[in-house]
Amino acid sequence: MAEEFEPKIVAFLCKWCSSAGSDLAGVSRMEYPPNVVPITVMCSGSVSPLYILSAFNKGADGVLVSGCHPGDCHYIKGNYYARRRIALVKRLLDYFGLEPQRFQMSWVSAAEGVKYTQIIKDFVQELKPLGPQKKLRRAQ
Amino acid sequence: MEKVLAKKSFPQWVKTLSSYKIFAPIEKEDLWSYELIEKPEQINLDYLNTVLSPKKIIFPQREVYLEFFASNEEGIEVKELLPDEKPSVIFGVRPCDAKALTLTDKVFGGDFEDLYYWNRRKQTALVGLSCSTPPSPNCFCLTVDGSPFSKDGLDVLMTDLGDKYFVETLTKKGEQLVNSAKTLFKAPTEKDKKNLAKIQQDAKKKITRQVENIKKVPPQLKEMFDSPLWDEESMSCIQCGICTYLCPTCHCFDINDEIDSSSPLKGKRIRTWDNCQFPDFTMHSSGHNPRPDKASRLRQRIMHKFQYFVELYKNYQCTGCGRCISQCPVGIDIIEVLDKVSDYGA
Amino acid sequence: MVNLEDLKKEAKAVLKDEKVKYVIGYEKSSNGLMPAPAFIKKPEDVEKLIWDPTCIHNLTRFLTDEKQKKAREKQPDERPVGIIVKGCDSRALVVLLQEKFINREDVYIIGVSCESAGVVDEKKLSKKLKDKKIENIEFDEKDNIIVTTKDGKTKIPASEILAERCLECRANFPVIYDVLLGEKTKRQPENPFQSVEKIESLSEQERWDFWKEQLSKCIRCYACRSVCPMCYCDECVVDTINFAVTADTTAEEKAQKIKWLEKSPVLSENFVYHFIRAIHLAGRCIDCGECERVCPLDIPIRFLNKKLEKDAKELFDYDSGFDPDQPSLISSFRDEDPEDFIR
Ligand code: SF4
Ligand code: SF4
Ligand code: SF4
Ligand code: FES
Repeated sequence: MAEEFEPKIVAFLCKWCSSAGSDLAGVSRMEYPPNVVPITVMCSGSVSPLYILSAFNKGADGVLVSGCHPGDCHYIKGNYYARRRIALVKRLLDYFGLEPQRFQMSWVSAAEGVKYTQIIKDFVQELKPLGPQKKLRRAQ
Repeated sequence: MEKVLAKKSFPQWVKTLSSYKIFAPIEKEDLWSYELIEKPEQINLDYLNTVLSPKKIIFPQREVYLEFFASNEEGIEVKELLPDEKPSVIFGVRPCDAKALTLTDKVFGGDFEDLYYWNRRKQTALVGLSCSTPPSPNCFCLTVDGSPFSKDGLDVLMTDLGDKYFVETLTKKGEQLVNSAKTLFKAPTEKDKKNLAKIQQDAKKKITRQVENIKKVPPQLKEMFDSPLWDEESMSCIQCGICTYLCPTCHCFDINDEIDSSSPLKGKRIRTWDNCQFPDFTMHSSGHNPRPDKASRLRQRIMHKFQYFVELYKNYQCTGCGRCISQCPVGIDIIEVLDKVSDYGA
Repeated sequence: MVNLEDLKKEAKAVLKDEKVKYVIGYEKSSNGLMPAPAFIKKPEDVEKLIWDPTCIHNLTRFLTDEKQKKAREKQPDERPVGIIVKGCDSRALVVLLQEKFINREDVYIIGVSCESAGVVDEKKLSKKLKDKKIENIEFDEKDNIIVTTKDGKTKIPASEILAERCLECRANFPVIYDVLLGEKTKRQPENPFQSVEKIESLSEQERWDFWKEQLSKCIRCYACRSVCPMCYCDECVVDTINFAVTADTTAEEKAQKIKWLEKSPVLSENFVYHFIRAIHLAGRCIDCGECERVCPLDIPIRFLNKKLEKDAKELFDYDSGFDPDQPSLISSFRDEDPEDFIR
């Protein structure tokens, strides 16, 4: 049987909420797909569009940016800035013709281990039918 | 060898060259560029000039030198990737662009032969098309020892005589091309020859731009390193790379390693065009930049073309194609600059 | 159309009073149909100035050079620079003021209204003229452009040769100035985002195919970056070397300069360049269209900036270049910013 395509997801998780949320999922031994390369950042507001592009350029099939819920950012406003910026990035990627499913944003608090695993499960399910991301990937 | 070829037989000639890769000018949304041709019918020689010259085929903007990768036995293994080219023909080469290749030949030849360049160069035949009408209002080949029907660097030169081409074969490579379809080529009549002479004469008259006193330029430049002229002339320069990237004679390059994977190590060493008008071109790793402003960069462009190169190779490093003039977004005009240089201090 | 003599008078007055260092305007060029930027230092040189529908360059770009030059001078001349601006150009000044890249007292602004017209597109014009040289070019009162060449006068409807940016322009008169020439007649385009909507209406695959073809042409001459008044950073992500190197920068720091994209002009790297260029101009681009004008490969980069302009308007009700006191697009937010795309 042909091996099923396993998408590679790069996830930028803020240290204070989303990364803690993913840790919770880990220590609670919740099961979720191993397709994620997590990168902890100080705040979702610190994710530059370059990080996102660079991930796609180096072969990510999907990219996730995740931060604290509105009102909960450790730096008070970081996730509000992120929300604006990511909205623009998402629309621009779409305008270029990248499949919109490949780039997602989420709010995950330190207590939401379950939500985190669900987001990853859904993301993987949505990426599988798309196959590998070749549009923005650097040819090897 | 002089021949004539009926225009309607031209596609047939190209068809007989099926063992070659064929390049010719192609139009897309008003832009002309040399592209690989699949069917001879695609070729349309009613073009003016292309944005980029055939330099982009012989000396491509990106060239892979070698591949490297970690291997168990040898540490790091290196594989050289020399271009292994099938013989190619480029049709519709303008005389100025062909002459430009004779200049890059000097740079990539001499004591050290650049194999990447020469592997392509040697395998490529250039079929020129003389300029009965100047392809650009800014053509000034006559100034820089060229002409609209110069044969420098070409293997074949074709001239449009209306319903046929006058075909001059100039080298062995060219002969091979013509011989592949011997029956299509006829001997020229006296009338054809007269026609050719007339077209050539008229063509020269149609070139309106020139540098008044080009002979004075190289010696003048020698004294002008610190001249305030460079500041004045570069005021409007925006430091883009258009003039040099589009120039058929500019040949500077950069070499970078592109890493595909850091563990296990795998990557390529790649040469790309570089550009003396970019601020980072001369930036030292100490933070010192010997050409710190746009005046020094414009000076470099002019000096290299009309002083250093002349001293080294007895040729201007410019063939008068006019690209840098027409395409400069702020109207910097090399002819005007050279006129000012030759008049400087007078 | 604004009278050239009025313009010369204004420029001459400030030069004579030595109120400005020099005036940036337009003069005839020798290379083609379009003029060249002119840097007028002496009152008598104002005779060189021209003003007609070919005056397309956004001259505010030269304020970056001026600032860099001033920073290098030991005893800089503190007088302002005089600058001639159209509507779009003036909005670039507003953004530069908003970002505190320049101070209001650094510039003496001679605003020129485009009135009911704008500037012409060189490629469209040259197609009509077929290589003939322009002797004179002007608007008539009825939305036509009258071009005089050696063969006489030709009347061309303005809509056929105006630059695309002008056809979609929402404010065709200066929003900031010290003197204003011409009337503030507003010409509202039917749909300022027509070009963007055309691309948006394509399918995902068609959009990708379009951009793939366009961006593959790019030779990364960076003219689109170099010409932009907002691309004033000392150091750009696309440069291969750090410019912000000082005596204290360690070798390690230098070596660790991140290469976000390679110099190879291949699609994936060109994409990174164009995406970043566009996103860095979000809320800053004022649609002077210079980036698209200068591209030697005719890549329609304006469509990218225009898309961001449209999204900023739709999502955040943000307009760039009208108010120097408004916070910038991406350093501000509203509680009600959309988040329906967030999980
Ligand atoms: S310097 Fe300008 S005119 Fe001369 S060959 Fe180069 S591009 Fe052509
Ligand atoms: S001006 Fe055109 S070719 Fe040059 S970098 Fe910009 S898009 Fe690419
Ligand atoms: S990005 Fe282009 S349109 Fe926008 S301000 Fe810069 S030059 Fe003008
Ligand atoms: S710290 Fe979590 S989004 Fe700012």
